[in-house]
Amino acid sequence: MGVLVDHRSFVIKRELPGSPAHAFRFWSDHQLKRRWNACHPDWRVVEDRFDFSVDGQETMIWNMPDGTRQAMLSHFLEIHTRQRVVYAYTMRTDDVPISSSLVTVEFEGIGEKTTMTFTEQAVFGSVADGDIRERGTAVGFTRLQEAMAELWKEPRQTMTAFGQG
Amino acid sequence: MIATNSLDRLFQIMADPYRRSFVERLCQGPASVKELAGPANVQLPAVLKHLKILEEGGIVVSEKVGRIRTYRMRPNAFVSLSDWIDVRQHEMNVAFDRLAALMAEVPEEKDH
Repeated sequence: MGVLVDHRSFVIKRELPGSPAHAFRFWSDHQLKRRWNACHPDWRVVEDRFDFSVDGQETMIWNMPDGTRQAMLSHFLEIHTRQRVVYAYTMRTDDVPISSSLVTVEFEGIGEKTTMTFTEQAVFGSVADGDIRERGTAVGFTRLQEAMAELWKEPRQTMTAFGQG
Repeated sequence: MIATNSLDRLFQIMADPYRRSFVERLCQGPASVKELAGPANVQLPAVLKHLKILEEGGIVVSEKVGRIRTYRMRPNAFVSLSDWIDVRQHEMNVAFDRLAALMAEVPEEKDH
C-alpha cells in the first residue's frame, strides 16, 4: 500500500487449446483480439486503434449508455513472438485515471496445449466520485468483516486466495 | 506478496475492538475526537493513539479547523483493496474463457 494509492498484483494461469503460436495470434492480431477482449455489447466504441509493435499503442475509447466515457490506453514495451508480451496500460473514466498497470503475458507450450500466465501489477488511485466513495466505503467495510470472519474459520484457504499476487 | 502484506496490515489494524468501533462510527459520517471518544469509555490519549494508527494505515483522514480535529473515512479505504482487484480479475477470467473457446474454434495456421 502506498501513501495515497494501492499497489496490487495478481496472476492468472490458464491452459489454452493449441500451440503458443496459435495463442500469440489472438494477442497480436487486431480482429482476433477484439473477438475475445473488451466485450461490452452496450458500450459504443468511439476509438479503436491497435499497433502491435514495440512502442506501438493500443487505444480503446467507449461511451457507456449513461454517457460516461471509458478509455484504455496501452503501450507495448516488449514483444517476444510466441513467448511473451509486456505492456503498460492505464484506464480512465471521464478522463480521471482509475488505474495504471504493467502486464506480462507468457506462453509456454505443453504438448498440444499452451499455458498462458498473465501477471498484472496495478496502481489503483481513488475515484473522485461521491456516490462511488460512499457506497464503496460501506460495502468495503462489510466485505472486510466477512473476510476477517472467513479468515478466522479457514485461515489457510483464505490466505492462499489473497496471497496469489 | 504485496497483496498479503497490505491485508496483514489492514487486519492488524482492524483487530482492535476500539478501532473497529471508530471505523463503524466514521462509516456513518465525519466525527470530532470528542464525539469519537464519548461512547468509547477510554482516555483521550488512548483514543488519539488509535486514531493515529487508523490514519497511518490509510483507513481514515483528519483535518483540523480551529481547535477541532475532525476524522472521516478515507475514500475507498477498503474498496480499493478488495472490490476493484476482484472486478479486474473477474473480467480477465471471463475474457480468457472467450479466448479459450475462440482458440478451439479457429484452426491453427501452418508455420512458414
